[in-house]
Amino acid sequence: MNKTYYVCKYTPLELLKAFGGECECLNHMPEGFELADQIVNPNICGFGKALLEAVMSGNVHELVLVNCCDTIRSVYDVLKESGRLDFLYLMDVLHSTDACSRDLVAMQLEDLADAYGRYKNTSFDAEKFRSAFRMAEHKSSPHLSVMGARMGTELFEMVQKAMPLPVLNETCVNNRSVGRSAMPEGSDRAALMQWYAGELLSQIPCMRMADHTGRKQLYNDPDLKGIIYHTVKFCDFYSFEYAEVKNHAQLPLLKIESDYTISGSGQLLTRLQAFAESIGSSEASYLSDSQNSQRYPVNEAGERKHKMGKGYFAGIDSGSTSTDVVILDKNKTMIAGIIIPTGAGAANSAEKALEQALTQVHIERDDIDALVTTGYGRGAIHSGDKSITEITCHARGAHFLDPSVRTVIDIGGQDSKVIRLDENGNVVNFVMNDKCAAGTGRFLEMMARTMEMSLDEMSMRGLTYNEDITISSMCTVFAESEVVSLIAENKDTDDIVHGLNKAVAVKTAALVKRVIGQERYMMTGGVSKNQGLVSTLNEKLGTQLIIDERAQLCGALGAALFAADLI
Amino acid sequence: MQVIDTFGHYVEKVCDNKPAFSRWMLKTGWKLQDARFRIAPDKRLQPADQYLAALMMDTMLMPLKKPDDCAIVSIFTPCELLQEVGLHPYNVEAFSCYLSATHTERGCIQQAENDGISETLCSYHKTFLGAADRGLLPKPRCIIYTNVTCDANMLTFRRLADLFQVPVFFLDVPMQQSDISVRYVEKQLHEMALFLEKVTGKKIDAERLTRRVARSKRTLENYQNYQHLRADRNIPTDLVSPLYCAMTNNILLGTHAEEKYTRMLLQNVENAPLKTGKHIYWMHTIPYWSAATKDLLLFKDSFQIVGDELAEACEPDFDPENPYLAMAHRCVYNYLNGDISRRIEAGIRHAENAGADGVVWFNHWGCKHTLGGSQIAKRKFEAAGFPTLLLDGDGCDRSHGGEGQTSTRLGAFLEMLEAGGNRT
Repeated sequence: MNKTYYVCKYTPLELLKAFGGECECLNHMPEGFELADQIVNPNICGFGKALLEAVMSGNVHELVLVNCCDTIRSVYDVLKESGRLDFLYLMDVLHSTDACSRDLVAMQLEDLADAYGRYKNTSFDAEKFRSAFRMAEHKSSPHLSVMGARMGTELFEMVQKAMPLPVLNETCVNNRSVGRSAMPEGSDRAALMQWYAGELLSQIPCMRMADHTGRKQLYNDPDLKGIIYHTVKFCDFYSFEYAEVKNHAQLPLLKIESDYTISGSGQLLTRLQAFAESIGSSEASYLSDSQNSQRYPVNEAGERKHKMGKGYFAGIDSGSTSTDVVILDKNKTMIAGIIIPTGAGAANSAEKALEQALTQVHIERDDIDALVTTGYGRGAIHSGDKSITEITCHARGAHFLDPSVRTVIDIGGQDSKVIRLDENGNVVNFVMNDKCAAGTGRFLEMMARTMEMSLDEMSMRGLTYNEDITISSMCTVFAESEVVSLIAENKDTDDIVHGLNKAVAVKTAALVKRVIGQERYMMTGGVSKNQGLVSTLNEKLGTQLIIDERAQLCGALGAALFAADLI
Repeated sequence: MQVIDTFGHYVEKVCDNKPAFSRWMLKTGWKLQDARFRIAPDKRLQPADQYLAALMMDTMLMPLKKPDDCAIVSIFTPCELLQEVGLHPYNVEAFSCYLSATHTERGCIQQAENDGISETLCSYHKTFLGAADRGLLPKPRCIIYTNVTCDANMLTFRRLADLFQVPVFFLDVPMQQSDISVRYVEKQLHEMALFLEKVTGKKIDAERLTRRVARSKRTLENYQNYQHLRADRNIPTDLVSPLYCAMTNNILLGTHAEEKYTRMLLQNVENAPLKTGKHIYWMHTIPYWSAATKDLLLFKDSFQIVGDELAEACEPDFDPENPYLAMAHRCVYNYLNGDISRRIEAGIRHAENAGADGVVWFNHWGCKHTLGGSQIAKRKFEAAGFPTLLLDGDGCDRSHGGEGQTSTRLGAFLEMLEAGGNRT
């Protein structure tokens, strides 16, 4: 028998089961949207495309939808046109929950019952209906919650794995709670549907409902220790809730956005790991057990035995553009700092950089007591004792360089981050840019190439300008054509560079506002050498950024400091 | 252009510290523009469209002049009830377009995004929200909105009501077209009347309301007739007149001014010369700010936009004798409510009525329903004999431009139309 798939918590599952239907929530993330992109514009919500992908790949034959949002309405239109499903139904759940809305929803339930019964060639079984209700058990123990837009099964599993506490999925379809009040006696379908309509509408509301104040109960759980707030690209509903929550939540909060593909979600791991690190649990160790055993032999009591060397500690920051190594002595004095371009393999570059650093201070690999890796390539480097995200390492490094720093701005090659610290250098909050390259080092690199100059040359331009040019396109590709047009108009190079710096500064300032940045600000990473950008950013933020001469080594420095903690 | 740019930058600059002054600046700038529309209207436009430009400007100025007499509405809110209690409605799309025309939209959009609002939200809504946050938007007397016809309505208006702390009314419109749905909306419209009476302290007169809804019906009939008569005429047009009409034919429906506009259209069309170029029917909003679009369609004899779907979102097929039922019918049977096929089929009929040779389906950034239905639309319009262009862009936010792409796509489509001869 085919399964009847559904996607929304307002779907009357119990009614479908009363007709003998076997229901399953469709929530898997595909590898990509190869089939969906052939039949729908790519700029709709990733979940809608995941749904189309599942149907077009022949895995789904029966689907009951609710008019949750414009994307689902469109998915219904497209699927109806395609004729690919044996049974396709769109239920019109209203946005209000008053008595009139309940009456109308009850009528719609009757319509669905008729259509589904005809399709299945079965009739309504009141007993099956009664027994279909299952209330979810609520755990009363310290936990984290995923909230916001629906999260794909695969991403949720990744979140569970990365977090040091149990994680509840409170997103969208997952907090379904139907059947809390007493059901009317008897088997009169109309009476049951009246009650059922009220039950469906009185759940914890989702953001498409007119009144969503009931969602506050999600945040008022005393056992809730942190929130991972999830949004889906091109789904706008939950950004509104996030805009509220971020200002009022008293709990650690991480915002992540996925495009509902498995490949796209892998990039979120750094943020998840950094969040786990910031909520400060000892359970948040991201070194696999096998790796741990290899680096630190375990004694009979289960304690790790550290190999003692000569009191040197190293940190390797494997970024997308450069690989940096810092070596500290036992007094935590930086005795070596190396920066080399990251080549094709992160592991090779790391080995090479480490070798250069060792040579610089005339010591051997065995003299290093502990080594911590960080950065995007950290997972590929197997010579480290521990791997920590660059967010935590940058915070630690920045605090070491200047303890008065409370906000770190790091514009890297492929991402930008803003990190808020407490007085001890612990991460309080952080944000990263989206996958788009706008506002990153890569953006400047591409623009420098368009203007036929090196990044170094570019960093010296735009400090003075005559015309205040605004590069209006935020998309890197469109911005490039805008720059080409400006060059064709014979605009002054300094004016164009200033416009580009402004574009990056605006993006960065937006991130700063999102974490509610506080003085003093430090800029780390290679882009901190770009004087034009620093000056524009100072202007935009109304501050004077601290730029340490070791700014580019900040991540590696933090990693080395963590390495020293291991002993 | 340089003057507007400088003006816009200045308004943006003072906005954060002196919002009241920035509103005054905006009002003064728009008043000057209003005066220009009256003293020196664009003579290339037919008199009806010259009148429309001033009418639209007045509508946008009203919230800056008398905010307490104004209500924020979503575009498809039936506004006859508001007019009866003396409230002037203004909507997100129109006000955001005017902010964009004043080159102040970027700061507003940035403000909304900084606050956490998603980058993929419709830019009309982002501009409006950002303007409200920055104090550029005056506080209205109340807010009234419906879910027709986009998700953004469900979010923006509730947020604005929280921000301004003003009374809010939501009209829930089912997506199914049926008598039951109409009755459901009718009941809410009665509640909306009570809400408005309470907010304003004024009483709605049933007979006046009936006359007003009858005026709405005449206005829509006039417009439909005009569209039919223009099919074989050459009527010079810019990019904003069809947009203005798309706004006023909704929020000003029921006013004498809007009826006057449609009467003028009927007078003007009688004397219009015969069609010489190709007619384009436009679905969704028009990127009026785009230089590429202007180059190809602004006052061109060879290609003219002959209508925008939003100006014809409902039929004049209601009975004004029962005004609440009539307005409810308009809401439920709005062509943008329900399946995409209703919208497309209406577009085909309206394009035929206006003698269109081709159709542009404008994939406005962030409008998920328009984007989601675009491929079906292309197939159906083409099956009906209309060459159709799916044009990606943004009606409000210049940063989503891609002017080169717009120029190439639209240019190639127009060349294709030209080469294809007349539609048969």
